[in-house]
Amino acid sequence: MKPSRRKIAASVAGVATLALIATGCAASGSSNGGEDGGKVTLSITTFGTMGVDANYEKYMEENPNVTIEATNLEGGGAARDDAYAKIAAGTGLSDIVAIEEGWLGTIAEVSDSFVDLRDYGIDDEKDSWLDWKFKQGTDADGRVIGAGLDIGPQGLCYRGDLFEAAGLPSERTAVAEYFGGEDATWDRFFEVGQEYKDKSGKAFYHSPRFFWNSFVNQQEEGYYKKDGETLNIEGNDVLKDQFVKIVDAEKAGLGAGLPGWDVGPEAKEGKYAVYMCPSWMLGIVQGYYDEGTTDSGWDFADVLPGGSANWGGAFLGVSESSEHKEEAAKLALWLAAPEQQAASFELAGPYPSTVEGQKLVADTKSAFFNDAPIGEIFAARSEGVIAQVKGPEDSNIQDNVFGPVFDRVSQGEITDGETAWKEALKLLDQIVG
Amino acid sequence: MTSSTLTKPSHPSTPPRSPKPAKPDLTFKQKLARFDYRVSPYLYIAPFFILFALIGIFPIAYTLNVSLYDWHLLKGQGDFVGLNNYVEVLSDPFFWNAFRNTISIFLLSAIPQLIIATGLAALLDQALRGKTFWRMSILLPYIVAPVAVAVIFAQIFNQYHGPVAGLLEAFGLEPIRWAFDVLPSHFAIASMVNWRWTGYNALILLAAMQAIPRDVYESAALDGANKIRRFWSITVPMIRPTLIFVVITSTIGGLQIFTEPKLFDGRTNGGSDRQFQTIVLYLYELAFPRRDFGRASATAWILFLIIILAGLINFAITRAIRTADAKPVPIASGPAAAQRAKGAAS
Repeated sequence: MKPSRRKIAASVAGVATLALIATGCAASGSSNGGEDGGKVTLSITTFGTMGVDANYEKYMEENPNVTIEATNLEGGGAARDDAYAKIAAGTGLSDIVAIEEGWLGTIAEVSDSFVDLRDYGIDDEKDSWLDWKFKQGTDADGRVIGAGLDIGPQGLCYRGDLFEAAGLPSERTAVAEYFGGEDATWDRFFEVGQEYKDKSGKAFYHSPRFFWNSFVNQQEEGYYKKDGETLNIEGNDVLKDQFVKIVDAEKAGLGAGLPGWDVGPEAKEGKYAVYMCPSWMLGIVQGYYDEGTTDSGWDFADVLPGGSANWGGAFLGVSESSEHKEEAAKLALWLAAPEQQAASFELAGPYPSTVEGQKLVADTKSAFFNDAPIGEIFAARSEGVIAQVKGPEDSNIQDNVFGPVFDRVSQGEITDGETAWKEALKLLDQIVG
Repeated sequence: MTSSTLTKPSHPSTPPRSPKPAKPDLTFKQKLARFDYRVSPYLYIAPFFILFALIGIFPIAYTLNVSLYDWHLLKGQGDFVGLNNYVEVLSDPFFWNAFRNTISIFLLSAIPQLIIATGLAALLDQALRGKTFWRMSILLPYIVAPVAVAVIFAQIFNQYHGPVAGLLEAFGLEPIRWAFDVLPSHFAIASMVNWRWTGYNALILLAAMQAIPRDVYESAALDGANKIRRFWSITVPMIRPTLIFVVITSTIGGLQIFTEPKLFDGRTNGGSDRQFQTIVLYLYELAFPRRDFGRASATAWILFLIIILAGLINFAITRAIRTADAKPVPIASGPAAAQRAKGAAS
């Protein structure tokens, strides 16, 4: 009855092999559509609620030879890791890949994984984009690797019903004024938060992460200096002061101690009353509710503490490994054209990065956000906005340095701003240093 | 040792071998037959080993190569740095944190899992109505994709709006921070592993139990051994080889745990503060968000060596148990004792 060594060895080897098979080869092969009689299958990978999907049907109707195979990943982080892995493997990238501003800088380091869209005529349309958005999609050698989709001007999502119950103004222009209108400051924001907290006994926001990101994006230089290489965190008193203020606000109970994302059930329970809303966040808040909801209480105000700033925004790139670069570039440029940007905006909220697109949505209202004139508000919110220079570790720093520290602060593990800042610097040193 | 397909039959039918050393000239047909006899078995098992070399040995060797270089995920190979990546990983507190988490989750899953699986198998080994139904039922969790299991359990253990949180609240208990505190998160992840693997292991153990000759139990019962005594003195010793197999496979699986902790909080790499970052998640973080392929490969090799070490420890314990087993056991007489004596002697 005793098992021979050989049997054990064979079993172990067998199990190991199975494990390797099971883990080694995740879905591969994407752009193998083949060209049967001019028929082309184009794959596209997007993430979050980009609204690009609003346009697929139309394109396929107008181009019967094209089938679009779309994959949408849950979050930007997943999309980033997915893209990195496939670039490293040299295979598997979709024909069209959505790239987030935060990691576009990293992609630009290996920009030859993506085609130069100038070869496919993007220069002819160059003027339709906001100048800075077009420049962001251009690498150091002048190759255009990303066609701009949306930009992330920010406004404030707030719960009109909860504001009203707490005796605060609830009508959107009054709310904007209450926060200080054009001169809204972060200090005023925390003051209003404290007032809400005192009157309602409830937390003001779900997690401090978003407000921090928003603040960092407002600075002329964020985590990196303008050269995109030198870190700009240690010894940066502007960042540190705001950081300490946020920790203090947490201590005062302004935050609900919730995670950064996936807080739909808590929204329904009214556990927080404001949400930092760059354009693409509208779709995320809306996604917490059933389709067609109009009585959620959410509204959208034309105000941002600390002044206008851009947070995020995506690009479409065409992978060099695509078998149908010509067709893929055509589709990517079409999806990034004003009309389609407008359709995406109407579906999910990401604000067009083209001047013409912005004009098209000027009158758009959102039924979910209490019929807020979102087109008009974003137009106002994006005035004078210029995106900051991002460095190679920007999204890594946001997710893995400051994110965890704020979580510990929210959970009451760290209560002192000075200590929390030191923790962040320590993590920064371990992860990026 | 009973007859095995791996050992040479004692009376081979072909080719007839002459008893004396005198070497007769063989015809081509005979040569072919001899070739067939000697080589064919290896050819039959070759596909496995070729496959294993391709998808097992080659990646392991290639990883070793990568681990000796400064290797950026996207930009590719850099300078040769020798063992520097290994030094960096081993001096990284995050690695040791991941090591502790892995061991903790492994122990929290493997120990209860083996105990429950053995118990379940013993129950299923009884005369039950609808045997197949019960046996299939305990295998069901194994059929569900681990990703689905992880997503569902992450919801169940959601600190804020999961059913477990609701239950705790209903009993007026303090909420548990499942995704934030170290031990609760390990418990939640271990529960996913247990959910998935307990039934599977129970079936393997059940098969071993069914192979135990029934007359052993009968004679023990005649000698006055009760059910519990029979379980400990007959069932457990006789399924020991299978138990060892189960322990080894769950050790290998447990040290490589990835899906469950990754998806327990999909936006992080094992918790916002690495509360449940396992070694493979640490490797993942190095390889993808941090894009340091060299250090990630070094981590892979360190994990490989840890697994080999764990395997050797398992092996040593097995040997120790087997030696202890040689001592005469008072209760069981008859076939069981004979069987065991045979096992111990060989």
